[in-house]
Amino acid sequence: MKGIKALIILASPFIFGWIALFLGAYGVSPIMVLKILLNETLHVFNVGDIPEKAIIVDIRLPRVLLAGIVGACLSGAGVTLQGIFRNPLVDPFILGISAGAAFGCAITIGFLSFLPIQFMAFIFGITAVALAYTVARTQGEVSRLTLILSGVIVSAFFTALVSIVKFLVDPNKLQSIVYWLMGSFSLADWKGVKVSLLGVIFGLIPIFLMRWRLNVMSLGEEEAKALGVNVSRDRLLFIGFSTFAVAIATSLCGIIGWVGLMVPHLVRMLIGPDHKTLVPLSLAGGASFMIAADTISRTITSFDIPVGIITALTGAPFFIYLMKRGGKEAWGK
Amino acid sequence: MLEVKELYFRHKGEKRDILKGISFSAEKGFITTILGPNGSGKTTLFKCISGIWENYKGEVKVNGISIDKLPYKKRARLFSVVPQDHEPAFPYSVFDVVLMGRASYVGIFSSPGKKDYEKAETALELVGIRHLKDLPYTKISGGERQLVLIARAIAQEAPVMLLDEPTSHLDFKNQINVLKKIKEIASLKGLTVIMTLHDPNLASLFSDKIVVINSGNKIAEGSPKEVLTEKLIKRVYGIDVVKVDINGQNIICPLI
Repeated sequence: MKGIKALIILASPFIFGWIALFLGAYGVSPIMVLKILLNETLHVFNVGDIPEKAIIVDIRLPRVLLAGIVGACLSGAGVTLQGIFRNPLVDPFILGISAGAAFGCAITIGFLSFLPIQFMAFIFGITAVALAYTVARTQGEVSRLTLILSGVIVSAFFTALVSIVKFLVDPNKLQSIVYWLMGSFSLADWKGVKVSLLGVIFGLIPIFLMRWRLNVMSLGEEEAKALGVNVSRDRLLFIGFSTFAVAIATSLCGIIGWVGLMVPHLVRMLIGPDHKTLVPLSLAGGASFMIAADTISRTITSFDIPVGIITALTGAPFFIYLMKRGGKEAWGK
Repeated sequence: MLEVKELYFRHKGEKRDILKGISFSAEKGFITTILGPNGSGKTTLFKCISGIWENYKGEVKVNGISIDKLPYKKRARLFSVVPQDHEPAFPYSVFDVVLMGRASYVGIFSSPGKKDYEKAETALELVGIRHLKDLPYTKISGGERQLVLIARAIAQEAPVMLLDEPTSHLDFKNQINVLKKIKEIASLKGLTVIMTLHDPNLASLFSDKIVVINSGNKIAEGSPKEVLTEKLIKRVYGIDVVKVDINGQNIICPLI
């Protein structure tokens, strides 16, 4: 039963991706989508030079791929952070990593355009999570509640810094910062897809390989050490890899919250907490979720709604549900 | 075997030593119990030996190797630690918890292999809790959880096993069951077992050697019969007792 559920989750990004390709303002039949894809990859169907081809290959396909990869990055970071902080209620957005990365991006766009945007996103993402963790740590213990509170504080701080950048920056650049901050895939292109692969290679793949360690780390520092894990080193690695994935994602499509919280939770409910299966399935689930959310955001009205709005509209009620369901247990140590 | 030599410990910034030069040894195949009232320093001693608190003075040796400054991985192969009953953040299955005992054998970028799964199975079998394998660790009883943690320590395959108050949250029946199991495994696997207890009777029934700690000092070390005298109990616990011999077992009965 679990095996079937796992297979469905693993297959879901491809199914959602296919649906996303044929939905949109310009109708393309589902069969034609497959034909065009096969024509592009294996050269088996010759579809000729039809307008559908340009729409699918140049516009929709990079957008779907980017949404999928960004979704996997955010969800992968979420499941990792939940594991190492032993806290099912955190994700990159709640811990302030997204806000930190956004600040890094904003100052790069505004003042430091000679630097790669991802670099500053990573630096400030790491700063944010380090701050949140340090603030929350009292007498060697990090309680669930204080970690979330310190994440809120750090998030607010970096959001304020982003506002300062917006205030000071050249009005021409302001518009691009504002639009990008809302979180959207409307500017997706193949170049973005290539950049996003960096997040996969230097963020998600190492996390995937190290995923079993998350089981041990989630027992807590003392126990993990007694079992032979170098907790300080491994925690640093996990935070580094997940922040890198989030920095790449944020630099490409702005702040998109809640994905990293919701998806790992849903997967855990379906197939259990063992990170050996939880991590890969969260990556797949994150990709599907983001593709679905983005498809809704661009098809529900005649214009493109920022996808961050869609994820927040689903995420906030979900968080409330978790809080109510978990009750006291969720907030304890 | 495990040797502790002249162990001193104080918390950072404090002037008072919590451990004041404790030395003792624990032998292979036997159970050594650290006994003492609350606040005697036995938990501190346990934390120093198990490497949780590292800024102690003195030496802890396992089979002649000083564990001080050993990397965690090597340390975990010398001794396993069974913590007090606790609840993990996520409801892992019993098998997943036991498998975590293999952490020191699994490389950082890999997952447990076939051999690790076999060792975890064998450990479950040995402790006699194979039927619990697929249940969530959070949904079983306290006694069963203690057995799961013992199975995890066995899967770790270390020559020394440290247990912190293995009976503290258990009812009478489970206290006896868990301690019997520990004794059985210690002699079967030839482990050096060190545990902390606060009940003198349980210590007397299940230990080969007792080390009595009070206010950071070692008061006595030896077999239960030698160590647990009426005078010592009065001195350490401050209550009057009478020692009774039942079928060759020493029982301490408080006078009330």
